[in-house]
Amino acid sequence: MLEVKNLTKIYPDGTLALKDVSFSVEDGEFLVVIGLSGSGKSTLLRCINRLIDPTEGQILMDGQDITAAESNELRLIRRKIGMIFQHFNLVDRSSVLTNVLSGKLGYISPWASLLHKFPAGAKREAMAALEKVGITDQAHKRADELSGGQRQRVGIARALMQNPSMMLADEPVASLDPVLAHTILGYLEELNHESHISVICSLHYLDLVQRYATKVIGLRDGEVVYRGDRKDIRKMTDEQFKEIYGEEAVRVNAGEFERGEE
Amino acid sequence: MSQIIKQEKKRSFVKAPTAALLSLILPGLGQILARRVQRGLLMLGALVSIAGLLIWRITVLGRLADGFWPTLVKSLDRAPFFVGFGLLATAGIWLWVVIDAAKQTNPNKQFGNSIFALILIVFFTIGWQISEIDLVKLTSDANEAWVPLSKILWPWEAAVTHETDTVEAGAEVLVDSEGAAPPKPEQTEGEPYLWVTPRKGSLSKLDEDNEVIPGTKITVYGENFEPNTRTQIWWSDSIGNEFRPRYQGEYVSVMTDEEGSFEKQMIMPYRLIPPSAKGQQIHEVMARQVSEVGPPLPSQPLVLTIELIIETIFMGMMATLFGILFSVPVSFLAARNLMSTSWITLTIYYITRTILNIVRAIEPLIWALIAVVWVGLGPFAGIVALTIHSIAALGKLYSEAIEGINPGPIEAIQATGANKIQTIMYAVVPQMIPPFVSFTIYRWDINVRMSTVIGMVGGGGIGFLLVQYIRLLEYKSAGIAVWFIALTVSILDYVSAEIRQRFV
Repeated sequence: MLEVKNLTKIYPDGTLALKDVSFSVEDGEFLVVIGLSGSGKSTLLRCINRLIDPTEGQILMDGQDITAAESNELRLIRRKIGMIFQHFNLVDRSSVLTNVLSGKLGYISPWASLLHKFPAGAKREAMAALEKVGITDQAHKRADELSGGQRQRVGIARALMQNPSMMLADEPVASLDPVLAHTILGYLEELNHESHISVICSLHYLDLVQRYATKVIGLRDGEVVYRGDRKDIRKMTDEQFKEIYGEEAVRVNAGEFERGEE
Repeated sequence: MSQIIKQEKKRSFVKAPTAALLSLILPGLGQILARRVQRGLLMLGALVSIAGLLIWRITVLGRLADGFWPTLVKSLDRAPFFVGFGLLATAGIWLWVVIDAAKQTNPNKQFGNSIFALILIVFFTIGWQISEIDLVKLTSDANEAWVPLSKILWPWEAAVTHETDTVEAGAEVLVDSEGAAPPKPEQTEGEPYLWVTPRKGSLSKLDEDNEVIPGTKITVYGENFEPNTRTQIWWSDSIGNEFRPRYQGEYVSVMTDEEGSFEKQMIMPYRLIPPSAKGQQIHEVMARQVSEVGPPLPSQPLVLTIELIIETIFMGMMATLFGILFSVPVSFLAARNLMSTSWITLTIYYITRTILNIVRAIEPLIWALIAVVWVGLGPFAGIVALTIHSIAALGKLYSEAIEGINPGPIEAIQATGANKIQTIMYAVVPQMIPPFVSFTIYRWDINVRMSTVIGMVGGGGIGFLLVQYIRLLEYKSAGIAVWFIALTVSILDYVSAEIRQRFV
């Protein structure tokens, strides 16, 4: 269980990215964070694994305070939290297998990894992870030879190598077409259901939110402006959704939502 | 839109005739008072610089003539088109400026810009004259360039040499001094034999007007030489200095007959005998047959060229190596994304950047001039010069590679729980390798190319040899060096392109 308490983040240039954000995620939940670009979604996700240090507030994971963790402790926490990204963040020049293996870095000795030496078990595990996302045949290609959808699957496989108890997904399908979006979110849902990995995911499209989320929070200018559970989301109307996104977004996004309703 | 702008034009301070008069006195003043300040200043600047340049060129052309008119006439005589056109065009522009001033007082008038075209034409005409462009020379003297060029294009006769076998014999003569003539040399059976009559005489001399007074005519007889072979006549003075006497500009030589004998008349050559020389002056006449024997061997120019091209390549390699060693740490100081954490580091960044830019702006050839003074002539000076330039160039390129790194993979690897070293190893290094290898190979390429010319200022490598051969007019030897440089550079070009393609 993850508890976020009164989280505030102010960047050095004075930008208030998060303002007194609190919520909790039960084990096995699929939490979707919605909000405009710049509303603080990415900052929130990155505070959870401390890629960004929050200014104030607490994040407790199974009672352990993430915000107070020092370097070594932090590494141990991080390796329990997998993360996938909008732009996949793969190392383009390395092979798919190396990219996946790098998910294991938190478990192996730094000196062995300097020589690119991974235990044989790790390699088997990596192949198994690739099999889970259906791209074993791509293992020895360079990461930049893959298509967008395949690259995000490599991202998932890399996160799986961590044996995570939680997955953070920062707009994982924003750079993919709608069909691929369902495939990728399908993998996340499968993990969520079968391995009881809780998922915290930021999304843009209402139909995707309604299809996958068990719980939703809406952010606007760093503040939580909407909270809802599975039932609320199903009943959520375009108007409510637009409210979170602000009036400006209405016309631009209208077409997308209509298609989504069909 | 343009309609609105027109109405916003400011009204002139002066009327048209006043503006024209003002521009006649000081070109551009009328425009300035017609509130076309930029236009007026531009015209004033253009006319002043044209006048200044023209006066300078006219003084240069009419040099040594006394006074204003003679100078002008002389310069007109030497470059009638340039001076004539220049003066007329300048006057024309001035007049045009005057008319323009009158026009500009009308706020609704369009800007006429053809005057600036004329100004440009005048500038280019002056430029043509200053840079001494001479199309006649370019075409009429082209055949003179062909002689050295053809030797450089096909220099390979100079690349081989043979061992030589010399058949020679000599006979002594007494010159310009009293005493008995030396005896006729003794003949040995089977050996080449040479004798001279008379064996006493005087050398050619120069009178006060540097006219040659011919010396004694002598006859040289030879026997037992190689038959039907060109034989060189040599002369050796009393202290053993040998030289080849010339007659009417040609070296004196003779062909032997079928029995290996010859007979040649010649005039004793000119040789300055120092007044301090005492006693009898015994000189020696010699006949020499030089023949090539054995297999072709690489000539000295070829061997030297190969030695120096190897030196050149290694100079480039060493300079690149030192360049990498120093530029890697420097590049971190010059990477903005790493140095923008505090104002101290930012200051270091700006200082490093500035130094790199200055050092890079100075050509390696100039660094070589300094390095030669510093560490003396030779390849090390070249390496120092190239290293200094490489540090600056690579430092900048590397730092830009560091700045251009994608932060995405770094956060992804951090998120897996990797520590700092692992993050650098798995997220930073793979991104750095392609630009690093690419820039380094490229730099090696540049360094080898540069070290081929750096020898011209004494920095070692093949450039020194090349310049020396050109100055000695040994175009064939120079051609060998040119060929090797071209070959090395193109091979390197290809190899570096291949390697870069593999890594990027």
